[in-house]
Amino acid sequence: MIGLWDTTGNEVVKALAAERRSAGGVASGLALTLIAVVEEKKVREAEAAATIAAAAHPCRLLIVVRSDMEGRSRLDAEIVVGGRLGPAEAVVMRMYGRLALHAESVVMPLLAPDVPVVTWWHEEPPAMIANDFLGVVAERRITDSAQAPDPVAALKQRAVDYAPGDTDLTWTRITLWRTLVAGAFDSTEARVVGAKIVAPDRDPTAWLMLGWLKSRLGIEPTLEHTDRAPRLHSVELQCENGDCVRVTREEGTALFSRTGQEDRYMPLPKRPVGDELAEELRRLDADQIYADALGAMAGLSGLDHRNPNRVHVWKDPALAAIAGSAA
Amino acid sequence: MDRPLRTLQNWQDGNVGNPLRTAQDRRLPRIPEPCALVIFGVTGDLSRKKLIPAVYDLANRGLLPPGFVVVGFARADWGDGSFESLAYAAAKKGARTPWREDVWQRLSSQFHFVPGSFDNEDDFDKLAETLDDLRVRNGIAGNTAFYFSIPPAAFPLVLNQLNRTGMADPSKTGGWRRVVVEKPFGHDFQSAVQLNQLVDDVFIPEDVFRIDHYLGKETVQNIMALRFANSLFEPVWNSKYVDSVQITMAEDVGIGTRAAFYDASGAARDVLQNHLLQLLAMIAMEEPTSFDPQEVRAEKLKVLKAISLPADISTGSVRGQYLPGWVAGERAVGYLEEPNIPADSTTETYAAVRLGIQNRRWAGVPFYVRVGKRMPRRVTEIAILFKRAPHLPFDPADVEMLGHNQLVVRVQPDEGVVLKFGSKVPGTSMEVRDIAMDFQYGEAFTESSPEAYERLVLDVLIGDRTLFPDAAEIEQSWRVIDPLEAAWAGQKPEPYRAGEWGPRASDEMLAREGRTWRRA
Repeated sequence: MIGLWDTTGNEVVKALAAERRSAGGVASGLALTLIAVVEEKKVREAEAAATIAAAAHPCRLLIVVRSDMEGRSRLDAEIVVGGRLGPAEAVVMRMYGRLALHAESVVMPLLAPDVPVVTWWHEEPPAMIANDFLGVVAERRITDSAQAPDPVAALKQRAVDYAPGDTDLTWTRITLWRTLVAGAFDSTEARVVGAKIVAPDRDPTAWLMLGWLKSRLGIEPTLEHTDRAPRLHSVELQCENGDCVRVTREEGTALFSRTGQEDRYMPLPKRPVGDELAEELRRLDADQIYADALGAMAGLSGLDHRNPNRVHVWKDPALAAIAGSAA
Repeated sequence: MDRPLRTLQNWQDGNVGNPLRTAQDRRLPRIPEPCALVIFGVTGDLSRKKLIPAVYDLANRGLLPPGFVVVGFARADWGDGSFESLAYAAAKKGARTPWREDVWQRLSSQFHFVPGSFDNEDDFDKLAETLDDLRVRNGIAGNTAFYFSIPPAAFPLVLNQLNRTGMADPSKTGGWRRVVVEKPFGHDFQSAVQLNQLVDDVFIPEDVFRIDHYLGKETVQNIMALRFANSLFEPVWNSKYVDSVQITMAEDVGIGTRAAFYDASGAARDVLQNHLLQLLAMIAMEEPTSFDPQEVRAEKLKVLKAISLPADISTGSVRGQYLPGWVAGERAVGYLEEPNIPADSTTETYAAVRLGIQNRRWAGVPFYVRVGKRMPRRVTEIAILFKRAPHLPFDPADVEMLGHNQLVVRVQPDEGVVLKFGSKVPGTSMEVRDIAMDFQYGEAFTESSPEAYERLVLDVLIGDRTLFPDAAEIEQSWRVIDPLEAAWAGQKPEPYRAGEWGPRASDEMLAREGRTWRRA
């Protein structure tokens, strides 16, 4: 590991090359560059998650922490090749002052040549990804609406701001749920006519579940608010023939009940962020099913016909602050 | 023949039946229909080391359907403790995913044990009753996979019983029926045909899954990706550019506790007939028109049919038997001193043979295949050695260290791909030597990838036959082995010290053709 304090982008590039040379053949098969945009107190968490994800998807990990935009411009960097962060080669960069607004100037020369770039915000998602150049350079963008103060509003904003290649970890979190629900209809032809989701109404995953069922089945699912469960509690589907399929979460397992059959328990663990991230990195093309679900949930259509390439829109927080005080 | 395979078909056609599954939704894993897995010989070695852990891992990954149930059938004479505790210990010891007590509790509540022996009709009636009962109670609709984790000698007994009780008849039970058999698939062509007929009498050929666990390995499946997803390798994948191919499967261990079986079969029947010929087929086959199981098997069968044996088997093949020696810092006894091996045994523990493939792509390219026990280390790899450049504009002294360009697929351990090519030695003179560009699947890339059995058990339950050799492939493989065995009969194998790369005769066999074995 090399630590560089008050350094420059060029020094970081040189140090990474030197580390790679001295470490030998580590991570010789790079599949992608992962940019993690993180706030200071979540750096360790992001590192742990990226380490898990890198085990399945060998990557160059660039962790960017931006803070104290008013202060003096300054760059600190830490370079780790092999070791603590698993098979990934990683650079953790802390940027202060005006440099934080130009993070791409440090990040761009560090992108591994000709492999896809994925940007992951392990903090409140930006309202407009086009305002963050680190999102504009990426082929895939991963946000986490659950980290916003109002997660459901943040998720709806994702639909407004959507471009093919975006996904949100709230979607990843319901993959296991979707698997269980979809599995119920593998061996039956029954048509679904109605659905009821029970969850706290501030749970974004419940809204995505609603959007998914709506877009796939052409029904209007209802969302019933509950205070008893912290997260998505149950999904119930009514079939035309009167049958009912219900999946209910109970402490890491799901109770699967279906009319005329014994109740079953299926594993439904809460996965670590690293596993969720690994699932996201499996596919680097646009997730059409997500776009449909997100659009259905927010009442927008044609999401996957949007242009996948964003153009950077400059937004200076200093100017915004001045404009704000003037108004 | 054309019984629809609902689940698989749905996946391929973008699904007509289930609106919640579409081809674009690649996050949703393949999950079998509700079904039962019946394991004959559930208390045996294979079941405890591989099957039960694989079932636990599948459950833990959430890949088993609701209503999935395991029915174990075996004699109740394994010693102390209940079946429950035996399965628990086996799963916990062999599991590759983290251990979660609640997952096991739920899974094991769906484990049923039917004690019985294979020659007792009442026991099978009991088994049929259990399955009938589960069909309704668990909603498995009669879907059942029978796993034969038993010696081939017991096959006829069990098959007859399945036939008698109607358990193997889908028209009586309403669901699908599949049977899984393990190697050995006979001991020669004749016995393989008999065995296949026996199984086919009771099950239809499409429902028979023959497990060659090598095909469940991630790296072996990656051979297809390497060859058919890239344009870089195909142009040189032929006799114009390839000098020779070496396929090696070396084990550092001896024969362990398999003395009786091993002494009766030997290295060629044990692994050459199945694992190595399957690897050879994967490397040499033509591109299948699709990854439909029929197409892949058709191409593999064509290659197996094109295999030619050396004109003179005595010079084109070598058999060996290990003497005492040292392996990995420990003293190893010789084959003849192993427990339960007759002192005059002529069974081979090493076999090497020069095969050819009679088609336009491979004519004239030797495929050297070797397999051995008590080798210096455990390694399975396929090395493709390319021809030297037709002209080298260098001083001969400067290219002395330049060998063949090589592409090596390492199957185990350290799964990966190595490309070896010439490169200039840094300095002021123009010296060229070989350098290896090494691609490893990373650290946990292989650790978290499913174990071969996990993948294969799941494929059986889903009904995907792509990774299972069919009867024709097995029979064709025996046609390669039988003439070798015939020529070797009564011959004494060449001795080699434990911890060596096989007998000297094997090196001489390659040296006669101006080649050497790659040190694997």
